Amino acid sequence: MSSRTSGGFSANPHLPASHTPMSTSGGFWVEAWHRFRRKPLAMIGFLFVITLVGIAMFAPAIAGTKPVICRYKGRLYVPCLAYFDRRLEPAIFSTDKFRGTYPANLTQKDPASWAIWPLVFQDPYRAVRDNEWPGRPANPARDEGQPNWSRGGWNLLGTDQYGVDVLAKMVHGTTIALMVGFVSMGLAGTIGLIVGAASGYFGGWIDLVASRITEVVMCIPTLVLILALVAFVEKPTIWKTMAIIGMTSWTGIARLARGEFLRLRSSEFVIAAQAAGVGPLRIMLRHILPNALAPVLVPITFGIASAILIESSLSFLGFGSPPPNASWGALLNDARSNLSMWWLVAFPGTAIFLTVLSYNLVGEGLQEATDPRLRDARK
Amino acid sequence: MALGGCGRKGNELPKGISAVSTSQEADQKPPVAPPSERILESFDVPPLAEIVAQNTWIDRPVRDSLALLRAEQKEEVLLATVQEALLLKNDSTPSNAKILSAFGRLPELDQADLNAKIDRHTGADLNSTNPIMISSTTEFDVLGLTGFGLFSFDRMLEPFASGESVRSWQTSADGLLDKLVLRDDLVWSDGQRITAHDIAFTFQVIMDPRVPVPAVRSGTDQMRWVHAYDDFTIVYFHKEPLATNVWNINFPVLPKHLYEKSWQEDPTLKDSEYHVKLEQSPVSGGPYQIMTRQRGQEIVLARRDTWSTVDGKNVREKPFFREIRFRIIEDPNTSLLALKSGEIDEMILNPEQWMTQTTGNDFYQRNTKATAPEWVSFHFGWNIDTPYFKDRRVRRAMSYAFDHDTMLEKLCYGLYEPCTGNFHETSWMAPRKKTPPYRQDLDKAETLLDEAGWIDHDNDGFRDKELDGKLVPLEFDMLTNQQPLRIAICTLLQENLSQVGVRVNVRPMESTVLQQLTLERKFEAYFGGWGSGTDPDSSENIWATGAGRNFTSYSNPEVDKLYAEGRREPDRSKRAETYARIAELLWEDQPYTWLYWRNSFYGFSKDLRGYVYSPRGPYNYSPGFGSLWMPAQP
Repeated sequence: MSSRTSGGFSANPHLPASHTPMSTSGGFWVEAWHRFRRKPLAMIGFLFVITLVGIAMFAPAIAGTKPVICRYKGRLYVPCLAYFDRRLEPAIFSTDKFRGTYPANLTQKDPASWAIWPLVFQDPYRAVRDNEWPGRPANPARDEGQPNWSRGGWNLLGTDQYGVDVLAKMVHGTTIALMVGFVSMGLAGTIGLIVGAASGYFGGWIDLVASRITEVVMCIPTLVLILALVAFVEKPTIWKTMAIIGMTSWTGIARLARGEFLRLRSSEFVIAAQAAGVGPLRIMLRHILPNALAPVLVPITFGIASAILIESSLSFLGFGSPPPNASWGALLNDARSNLSMWWLVAFPGTAIFLTVLSYNLVGEGLQEATDPRLRDARK
Repeated sequence: MALGGCGRKGNELPKGISAVSTSQEADQKPPVAPPSERILESFDVPPLAEIVAQNTWIDRPVRDSLALLRAEQKEEVLLATVQEALLLKNDSTPSNAKILSAFGRLPELDQADLNAKIDRHTGADLNSTNPIMISSTTEFDVLGLTGFGLFSFDRMLEPFASGESVRSWQTSADGLLDKLVLRDDLVWSDGQRITAHDIAFTFQVIMDPRVPVPAVRSGTDQMRWVHAYDDFTIVYFHKEPLATNVWNINFPVLPKHLYEKSWQEDPTLKDSEYHVKLEQSPVSGGPYQIMTRQRGQEIVLARRDTWSTVDGKNVREKPFFREIRFRIIEDPNTSLLALKSGEIDEMILNPEQWMTQTTGNDFYQRNTKATAPEWVSFHFGWNIDTPYFKDRRVRRAMSYAFDHDTMLEKLCYGLYEPCTGNFHETSWMAPRKKTPPYRQDLDKAETLLDEAGWIDHDNDGFRDKELDGKLVPLEFDMLTNQQPLRIAICTLLQENLSQVGVRVNVRPMESTVLQQLTLERKFEAYFGGWGSGTDPDSSENIWATGAGRNFTSYSNPEVDKLYAEGRREPDRSKRAETYARIAELLWEDQPYTWLYWRNSFYGFSKDLRGYVYSPRGPYNYSPGFGSLWMPAQP
């Protein structure tokens, strides 16, 4: 990318940087970032996404019933990692019959032990039992779990019908929402770029076949295709859902990539590279791809937003990841059976809305910051 | 009136155990004999005079269920007037009793609106309108109203012949023959007479191995032959003098004149153009006939005048409703909205709906609700053919690990009773000594798992066992359908078992997929339920070795022996002992972790009257749905 000029279109990648006429420029991406930063809405969206990433990464430390870190029988453990994968829970706690209840057992079985607890002692997958945290009553279940700020704030956003804390579910649901976005669009981006690059660069029958396949996939309604695929999957997991979303939403990216590769393959620096005997793979990866990436990033950003919506829809319809599923869409699904439990609609609904909005703002900002036509028009 | 009598053969739910949930409806398929196998052998029918002379005959009950209910209600003390009950909210046992007492009454003279229409709720569409293809609960509901039937049973599940179609019923003293004389004023909806030949013909069709009968063959296969001596006299020849013969003679009836030729040409009874037409506009022998049908949306039945009026004479009491519209709504939330807005007049409520959605004025403005015990139980089934559940100790550990109290109190809103075995504890076949239900005891669960050899050998926090030289973790899939309550119960099990080092993956799936997997025994554990049959023998095909619906592959020679004995024992109290012993053996073996009895919870429009509950709910007995009515507007 260092080979780019600020415009990014007339650069000759084989000239040393000092030969470029606009050597004071910080490069395409730095310029784009400068322009992006000047857009307040896009920046708010970006900061929101960053915050979400923070929440997702530290979810077990924000809400959970397993210590973030604890010292037990002379050794340090990080039991909260079990929220990412249940196999990461140290075996000693099951050997010592903790049965998932840490506070009382830690002090009882090793008085010298200490632990750092999550900010909120609530579990995203089960109701907190009576006296599980010394002196605290069991979570209210049925429709009695209204958001509660008065009793010392045990269920800030309320509980669902089965007594599971909504805040804990929301926090852990962030991980799912973000992962769905990144993983599925990462996959979609990879497929889209490969298909688009191949058809744009090689043209001919490869283009013909790839374009027709793209069109066929585009013609199928995504949600219907996903529902059909989900029905076939033997053991559904959140990863398979992500894979399915990824494998069905690459078409827009492929088309854009194809257009970019088609345009750039006849540019001077590609012809020069070809003349220098560089192989097609290297030309595509080293010379065309960096120049084609900016327009492709925009649909990926929008795609992340729609992937989150698709996952929520799937969970809402009951086809999401297997229970216990802390995703925001699953919370909305719980609300369906009792609309008077407004907190099951309001909080996850707002979270989905804000997240999707943020990604769309980021996408729009990115588009304006990288597309010369839009950029110039707004100057 | 025979609304409950005509083909209301809950007893026919293949040998009585009806699968309760939609998830289990297709479970009703008994193993079908391969087409080449001949089920029925030829039979030399003795002359009528000979069998009449050679046997001593015992008269059996022929009853009019509605008249009996009316007589019963005369003796009952009214707990509240309708006006009082209309103002009541069903929030306590006394108010429930008052609502049932006030609204459960049959109409006085001219009190009922004979032009009334009712919109009933159902969760699924019909697969077939042919009465012998009956299998799912919706089919039993619809075809029970349109089919012609000879026998039924009352709310105490006592069998009788319906006075609306039968003149007399006798059984030979040796229990090998049943003789029935039909009434001479019975007609099909196409105007042809219903005769004894229709019944004998239907028996032949049901026993034809080429006909894909899903449920009703189990029972008829215990009979040797059925013969019509004339238009009205029919004799059932049994293979053995079984206590269950009284249920075996009860099967749906086809019009012979319509199927006689086409049966041989197209034994599937549904593929040929002719059969497709019959399927679309079936000929009815019951009080109602299907008028229109929109797939997945509604089935409309209209009252059939030729049922009550024959040759210009009024021969039977008119059914109370002119039209019955079955609205097909799968989602419980949508159907509750429909009930509240008056689009449907009745529906089953789930615990959450009963406790939280039907307490306000938005519900009571048009509706009320009532509850009563029902013999419908739910369970976790453990596949004994897998290495995990072969050992009884593991199955018992599962029952000890599960938090029954949380399930009953929190998930089921304290509305359901704990289930302590395959027979309801108030039924005559249940053990007399009450079985204490399982309660969570994680220490006991762990000890049992340890004893069974499931210990954490590799120190990863989860139990495992060496099988064929390989360390197999105790991790299995729990299959369930997609109802939120069931998923919640399975998730609770998952949480409980993770506390004792057992991994469970909850897998909600389409009901049809679940049916298929359980039928093929391709599962490790599943969540399911059974409705009660009318006779305990009907549960044999769940517990006998290799039986059709023995999904868990349970096998206990003593249980097999006891079922065979129970069927042959004529004395009710001795039979009760046999079945009680079966229940005890099953409880010891825990092939299921029995969870709860799901009582009947119904929402009814305030315009509806006459609902009376039986252990099979308010509809599935005689008169059952036939006793419902709406008052005439003044």
